[in-house]
Amino acid sequence: MIRVDRLFRLQRPSLDQAHQRLSVLILLFAAGFLVVAGRAVDLGVFQYAGDPAAPVNPAEADHRWQRAEIVDRRGEVLATTVASQWLYADPRRIQKPEETALALAEILPGQTAGDILRRFRRPKEFVWIEHNLTPSQVAAVNALGEPGLNFKTGSLRLYPHGRLAAHALGYTGIDGEGLAGLEKFFDRRLTDPARLDEPLRLSLDLRVQHAATDELALAMDEFQAKGAVALVMDVHSGELLSLVSLPDYNANRYATATPEQKRNRATYEIYEQGSALKAVTIAAALDAGLVRLDDRIDATKPIRIAGYTIHDFHGQRRDLTVPEVFTYSSNIGSARLGDTLGAERQKRFFRQVGLLSPADVEVTEVSAPRYPERWGRIHTMTASFGHGVSISSVQLAQAMAAMVNGGRLQPATLLADADRQGRHRGRQVISPETSAVMRQLMRVAVVKGTGSFADVPGYRVAGKTSTAEKPGQTGGYDHDRVLSSFTGVFPAETPRYLVFAMLDEPHGTEATYQFAGGGWVAAPTVGKIIARIGPLLGVEPRPADQTFIREAALLVQEKD
Amino acid sequence: MADVMFAPRRMDLSPAQKLARLNWLVIGLLTAIAGIGVAMLYSVAGGQMEPWAARHAIRFVPILCVMLAIAVVDIRAWMALAYPAYFGGLALLIAVELIGVTGMGGQRWLDLQVIRLQPSELMKIALVLALARYYHGQTRAQTAKLTSLGVPMLMIALPVLLVMRQPDLGTGLMMAAASMGVIFLAGAPVWLFVSGSVAAAAAVPVAWKVLLRDYQKDRVLTFLDPSRDPQGAGYQITQSKIALGSGGMSGKGYLEGTQSHLNFLPEMKTDFIFTVLGEEFGLLGGAVLLVLYMAVLGYGLFVAVTCRNQFGRLLAGGLSLTLFLYVFINIAMVMGLLPVVGVPLPLVSYGGSAMLTMMTAYGLILSVALHRQITIPRGAGL
Repeated sequence: MIRVDRLFRLQRPSLDQAHQRLSVLILLFAAGFLVVAGRAVDLGVFQYAGDPAAPVNPAEADHRWQRAEIVDRRGEVLATTVASQWLYADPRRIQKPEETALALAEILPGQTAGDILRRFRRPKEFVWIEHNLTPSQVAAVNALGEPGLNFKTGSLRLYPHGRLAAHALGYTGIDGEGLAGLEKFFDRRLTDPARLDEPLRLSLDLRVQHAATDELALAMDEFQAKGAVALVMDVHSGELLSLVSLPDYNANRYATATPEQKRNRATYEIYEQGSALKAVTIAAALDAGLVRLDDRIDATKPIRIAGYTIHDFHGQRRDLTVPEVFTYSSNIGSARLGDTLGAERQKRFFRQVGLLSPADVEVTEVSAPRYPERWGRIHTMTASFGHGVSISSVQLAQAMAAMVNGGRLQPATLLADADRQGRHRGRQVISPETSAVMRQLMRVAVVKGTGSFADVPGYRVAGKTSTAEKPGQTGGYDHDRVLSSFTGVFPAETPRYLVFAMLDEPHGTEATYQFAGGGWVAAPTVGKIIARIGPLLGVEPRPADQTFIREAALLVQEKD
Repeated sequence: MADVMFAPRRMDLSPAQKLARLNWLVIGLLTAIAGIGVAMLYSVAGGQMEPWAARHAIRFVPILCVMLAIAVVDIRAWMALAYPAYFGGLALLIAVELIGVTGMGGQRWLDLQVIRLQPSELMKIALVLALARYYHGQTRAQTAKLTSLGVPMLMIALPVLLVMRQPDLGTGLMMAAASMGVIFLAGAPVWLFVSGSVAAAAAVPVAWKVLLRDYQKDRVLTFLDPSRDPQGAGYQITQSKIALGSGGMSGKGYLEGTQSHLNFLPEMKTDFIFTVLGEEFGLLGGAVLLVLYMAVLGYGLFVAVTCRNQFGRLLAGGLSLTLFLYVFINIAMVMGLLPVVGVPLPLVSYGGSAMLTMMTAYGLILSVALHRQITIPRGAGL
């Protein structure tokens, strides 16, 4: 050990111990600085040395890079790479710095003459002025006739459809590195030299994406929501034909987008999704043989447990049949069903239908769900109507699809069949019979219950509304901040597609009598989306078949 | 103070003479560090003095004067003020608990209309002062005994628990660590620290359950697996590492850091400012700042080593350790070596509180330096 007293030539034996201790401190400081310095070298020299973002001598750099195209399921180009002109200057050869700087500031929006002039004055032979000039800008720069200005050919990732599907696609940095979304998730695949000519084919359908974005944006505007999500999913393959998150941004100008715009609310944001999970609870109870459709469930009065009160918004104050619990969206009835199921069985079922693990979808912005560590009786009850468990909208869509598609959980995917190569294999989570009953219940909820605004003549929509009060800042729930959604599937008897729409903190309007619940704001949006995409997807319109829901419908009494 | 025996000669220095005797080289280094802060804040704002760089520079001037004023005050006066400062800080911490302003997930600020005070910052210094004062009053034999630990443990536990309750875990742990440093310097038995570390390791699971809020657990989990949260805290760390790495040896050039300027980095002006430096000036730029800090903190330890009174030695050592923790934790954090705990880089990060803490602490170190030849009898007081 270093003896500081010797180091500093201090000969006071009584100070020996103090100085020994101080030398330990000195060693600690030295070690700390060494660790940090070592890490800096590690990061700067080794780990990211080959990083595309690492600097290279710009004068010699080849700024072309290549990246495979991304196309939608029908082959429409969603992302491509084009050559672009990058403007640089050789300050030694600039003839009239002031004049040229002023002229360039005119041509290049976002640049100031002073800033350009500052770069002209640098004692360098190469300074970048601007990336990715448009052809007309290139012509204007050439017209200046300044010998010190020159172009290099660079590459530019172009998203021809701008905002459409921006959250799924993500974006690519100036040096061709995937920075978000599919671009980041498939960075290796897209830059694999052997596969550059082979486009990455997505499950998205540009037409469906456009219709869903359009309707969702109108609804978000109408109800002044702070955010919104829409999903269209093939219930059998899990393929997402559309993934919309609002507010959105233009992928070509991602650098100026706000974090709020860039946030993927469909996969990254997790919410207490509310009543939609009643479908999961009921399916679990039916499938386990714990209840039958015509069993009566006591919903006469609110349940008080552990200091909380579970009550119904449309309280019927009587015993309800299972279809009634679902159609009238009874929290009390669902809580009782959840209680019958028990914590262990509920948790196991939630796990089976993918509610307790992050969605396995091909973007990098995926959040893990949040659920109670200790799953007590109160948690079982609240989880059965969708509270206390926060999941992403994509997780919800997957689980709801499994309820109606014959009982198979098919993880959501953004890839078309050919590109997926068996990455996803579904698993049976409920019996086909239970799934058939769930289709009936969801159709009844539209015909007789809260989801009536989602119905579209000919397309036989089935589904479930959700109106979830959001957790407040101080614990507890806020009555005036809700998350309203509708999960619809169509056609009801043999569902092919699931359409989900969610509005975050919508406000009621005069037209909705100030109501902002899922039935009022999200169900009509799903209806409008289905009316537009049904014909595109080749779903044949047919008159509603009321016989298939008879068994469930008969068990639903009209409201008081 | 009747029992304090004054050393002759040094007694008679006027404040002006004391000022002249200060180590101006080290003050110059501190100013250089703050200057780097101004330059980086100018860059973060995209080449503008507003809104941060100018304020940072302007703020530094009065705070520098505060530091000089603290430095010329006799060390024995600071010794006399140690306990009052401690109890004052404790009172403010309790006040903030009752009437504090909530910000960033915790009650940390006390709004005094004119300035918003962060009592936990004050306490970082007051706690070291009080501990140094306490151990100054203990003989070596007393210090070596286990029983002498009761009072300091209580002195540490009260403010640390209050700060952790805010909840500001990072500051709480830093205060506890610096306090342990003072006790170690004072000469408490080594086996205590060994067994203490073992006990602390055993307490981690308990702390996880009881003390940590969800967002804090998230930060730790994300630290262990950054891909868990690619847009949130994990995103910060990943982007920060890429930015640092892409700076290479000499950086991309001032105002040219693409990662920083394209808004990939959050909290650039505060916690992640070292990243901006690393991206724009590379390893060399980072090394220059590290060397400056090393020199400044090294001088603090040198003062401790050459000080002839126990109070000054413990104070200079403890405060140097506090400042070292600031610097080390911040830089290790942006390099992905530690979880994101929200510790600023003193003098460089934007924000008055951290600057004031650093300069106040350094003022005290300089005061110790000016008065290091004075011997103050041990065993006095508590």
